[in-house]
Amino acid sequence: MFDFRFYEIWRESDFIDRLINGVWISVELSTAGGVFGLIMGLALAAAQSSVSPSVLRYASISYIEGIRNTPFIVQLFFVTFGLPLIFNYRWPFEASALLAIVLNFSAYFAEVLRAGIESVHRGQIEAAQSLCLTRRQTFFDIVLPQAFANVWPSLTSQFVFLFLTTGLISEIGVEDLTWSGRYIADRNFRDFEVFIVLTLLYVLIVFGYKAIFSLVQRYAFRWRVAR
Amino acid sequence: MTEDTNTGSAVVVEGMSKFFGDFQALYDIDLTVDYGERVVICGPSGSGKSTLIRCLNQLESHQQGTVVVNGTELSENTKNIEDVRRNIGMVFQSFNLFPHLSVLDNCALAQRRMLKKPKAAARETAMKYLEQVKIPEQRDKFPGQLSGGQQQRVAIARALCLEPQIMLFDEPTSALDPEMVNEVLDTMIGLAETGMTMICVTHEMGFARQVADRIIFMDSGRIVEMNEPEIFFTNPQHERTKTFLGQIL
Repeated sequence: MFDFRFYEIWRESDFIDRLINGVWISVELSTAGGVFGLIMGLALAAAQSSVSPSVLRYASISYIEGIRNTPFIVQLFFVTFGLPLIFNYRWPFEASALLAIVLNFSAYFAEVLRAGIESVHRGQIEAAQSLCLTRRQTFFDIVLPQAFANVWPSLTSQFVFLFLTTGLISEIGVEDLTWSGRYIADRNFRDFEVFIVLTLLYVLIVFGYKAIFSLVQRYAFRWRVAR
Repeated sequence: MTEDTNTGSAVVVEGMSKFFGDFQALYDIDLTVDYGERVVICGPSGSGKSTLIRCLNQLESHQQGTVVVNGTELSENTKNIEDVRRNIGMVFQSFNLFPHLSVLDNCALAQRRMLKKPKAAARETAMKYLEQVKIPEQRDKFPGQLSGGQQQRVAIARALCLEPQIMLFDEPTSALDPEMVNEVLDTMIGLAETGMTMICVTHEMGFARQVADRIIFMDSGRIVEMNEPEIFFTNPQHERTKTFLGQIL
């Protein structure tokens, strides 16, 4: 039987600090990426509505397909090493990681939100029209709240999945949770124990995110529970 | 009701035809409805009844002929279609209440957005009409918590909140359980008594007989017969009308 030696992690306060810092960096970047990704995803989804100009529509579709059909690691490298060459300007790797996360998340969110927008019954829009709401008011007051409610569970699991892919940012040296694990394992050679701890930490973070999502659901979409 | 700007008829439709692609849904419709008049439109399904009244507030656009509502000619290019729709309330078969808003907010939203009323004033007006449809105690519930009949009455109140001059009803009781039909019809009868101009697509012949000034019978996109209720029911002029009435009465 394999001899588990978890104390090889606990005994170094440096290792503990790295793990805490890793959790923080992962949560920070994913949360910011989630929020900005959602906003950008919303814009991408709205750009695909039938009333928007076809240039915008095709730009949005191309972007979404481009992101969803290429590996995140390639996008990450492009943003980190390609863009600075194009713009001839350097910025911190954390900023590159965040940008890559936002660009990546937004495409996935856009698809979920588009499904949500399309799921809103046509009669809702007709009722809004007959009550003289403008297109913009109809979108923000009527369509969007229902769209979010309809796809909230999908959005939750999509976000959790995307969060779990962010471990790849350790490849460019961003000191996230996965990077911290590598750092420790490279020093104490207890890879198995380290990755068990990493797994637990990722699971805990996911539980935290899910709790927040279901809190939003319970408060913002209580009209759905009510029926 | 102030109608100084609207001399003449509420609705004037002349030679109107409507196509869905190659399919012609309405043929050469002529129809005039005066202010305060109550018109009931009936006919078999697919005869174009709903399409006709949806053309009156531009939920559908027509391809030939003219539609004039409240003195404004409607076309796809009509500017300020909101100003026209503001004077036309519409009630749908499937209610189409906004499920994420409370009953009160369903009624207040359009007033706040369209009329730019402050929240309190909008809610006050909303309550007035919720009382008119006898449902004020449900104001804080969501539509999903109400019965079909209650939802439809809220939908009527919601439409009334913009204080329209014309009310369109598109089969308002067809989606209701039988025992809820009467509460909605009673609300509509009450509305008719206030002198509202009403155009109702319905198969409720009892309601038609009691309330309508005129009954229109449509078939295959055409107005087949148009008469006052007494004549329409006792002495229909067309074979098609007789068959129809024979089947539903």
